[in-house]
Amino acid sequence: MSYGSPHDATASLSGVTSPGAASQDTAPDGDAAPGIALLAAAKSFGHGPDAVHALTPVSLSLPPGEAVSVVGPSGCGKSTLLRMMAGLEPPTEGSVRDGGSPVTKPLADVGIVFQRDLLLDWRSVLDNVLLPAEIKGLERTAARTRALDLLQRLGVASFADRYPWELSGGMRQRAAIARALLPRPSFLLLDEPFSALDALMRDQMNVLLQEVQLAEGVGALLITHSIPEAVFLGDRVIVMSGRPGRILDEIRVDFPRPRHLALREEEAFSRIVRRIRVQFEQAGVLVG
Amino acid sequence: MTASRALARRLTSSILAPAASLLVVLLGWEVLVDTSHLPSYVFPSPMLVLGEMVDNAGLLLSELAVTIAAATAGFLIALVLAVTAGALIAASRMLDRALTPWLVVAHAVPKVVIAPLFLVWFGFGLKSEIFFVVTFTFFPTVVNTVAGLRSADPDLVELVRSMGANQWQVLRKIRFPAALPSIFSGIKISITLAPVGAVIGEFVASNRGLGHLLIQSVGDMETPLAFAAVTVFSIFGIAVWKFAEWLERRALPWHASERERRRTLEQAAA
Repeated sequence: MSYGSPHDATASLSGVTSPGAASQDTAPDGDAAPGIALLAAAKSFGHGPDAVHALTPVSLSLPPGEAVSVVGPSGCGKSTLLRMMAGLEPPTEGSVRDGGSPVTKPLADVGIVFQRDLLLDWRSVLDNVLLPAEIKGLERTAARTRALDLLQRLGVASFADRYPWELSGGMRQRAAIARALLPRPSFLLLDEPFSALDALMRDQMNVLLQEVQLAEGVGALLITHSIPEAVFLGDRVIVMSGRPGRILDEIRVDFPRPRHLALREEEAFSRIVRRIRVQFEQAGVLVG
Repeated sequence: MTASRALARRLTSSILAPAASLLVVLLGWEVLVDTSHLPSYVFPSPMLVLGEMVDNAGLLLSELAVTIAAATAGFLIALVLAVTAGALIAASRMLDRALTPWLVVAHAVPKVVIAPLFLVWFGFGLKSEIFFVVTFTFFPTVVNTVAGLRSADPDLVELVRSMGANQWQVLRKIRFPAALPSIFSGIKISITLAPVGAVIGEFVASNRGLGHLLIQSVGDMETPLAFAAVTVFSIFGIAVWKFAEWLERRALPWHASERERRRTLEQAAA
């Protein structure tokens, strides 16, 4: 499924379908299902009575082209979930699959954006964006053209030759997104990428991220603790409880793309936000 | 503030202040020597030293060249050895445990005391001198290299690992550049120790260089020439330090200290 597919065109006006319909995507049915999937993957740190359970067994799939948001309180194991899907950390139970085959090392076909932009101080913005090309041994000229194009689309082209310290937080995070997208990954994994930004910049980044996501046709897993952000950017929102993390709800969000910020004031949008808030209240994550 | 006034202020603080302080010291020295009637072989006046420097410019410069050559060769050898050893120690816990105690022991031995032994081992001449510089300059660089290579942000290492980087790429793309500021701290200490090592080597094991000239002129009671040699050596030392700072700025234009300097310059220009 990708943006602009017939599915989106026929999206219901309410913007919501029942979780039952969504569960077809998450059911660990066929082994050869395209995309990345967690199959009853759980994570605990330490052993014996001292073990900390970060994540109870979770099944979750990220099909190509789909945008999945995971929203939950701090410490619910959202980041662990992302790290397991990226192949950076093995689950202690269950498994991670990529197109049906087990994941045992960092996945080559994903770009990751972390909460900290992790730009290298000693490289210009352009050279930072080119880092994955150097590591993967991509052709230089083509990579450079691609990098400049991405910087252009993300609105940081004029900073290409600057060092990261000369950029604001929002600009730095744009460069980090360009870096993640450079090798044309099938999936973008974003771990609370905008949580250090001010509210206005965050809204702006939501619009920008949607724009490049649509243009690149890249699947995305967005970890966030902002309910509106999760709903605005996701085709599907996974609602998670506090530690140890488990899935409370899964909501399909069918608003057509591209979405505009004004969508957030609409009743259908608020209904989904309310539904998630109520889930959090019932789970004791939020006290209303 | 206008640009010209800002420039004038910078000129005052960065050039005039140290120049005035130097002038006062030299004047005081001249007056002290003139009024106390100390013989020039005990304590020569600055004017006499200056005259000696002018008269013996050729000799001083050729001896300086020898000292520079020994210091440079020794420093470069030590740099390569130290960065390699540092990389090995930082990469392997076993090598760390095997090598570090030896480094500490070697550093604890007072090098001036064993200088005569070098004469026995490497003979009289440049080889001894260079080896002496190596022993002086190796330790600060190796210690700072190890510290720098270990200080890389683990999140950055994970970032490139997620891109599929191997160990060698992690070292080249992350650990080594991240270690550069620390390595440069070591280099700045080492590079100023290099001429000192060379001169001590020349005291013991050479008939060339500023160190030898110094020993010889003191022995001949040519104190003004000895002072001239010391002055040339000091100027050389300052130049070496300035060179190291320049090199650091060129190599690390992104470093925090450089940001601060640029910000100050921009403020002064504004």
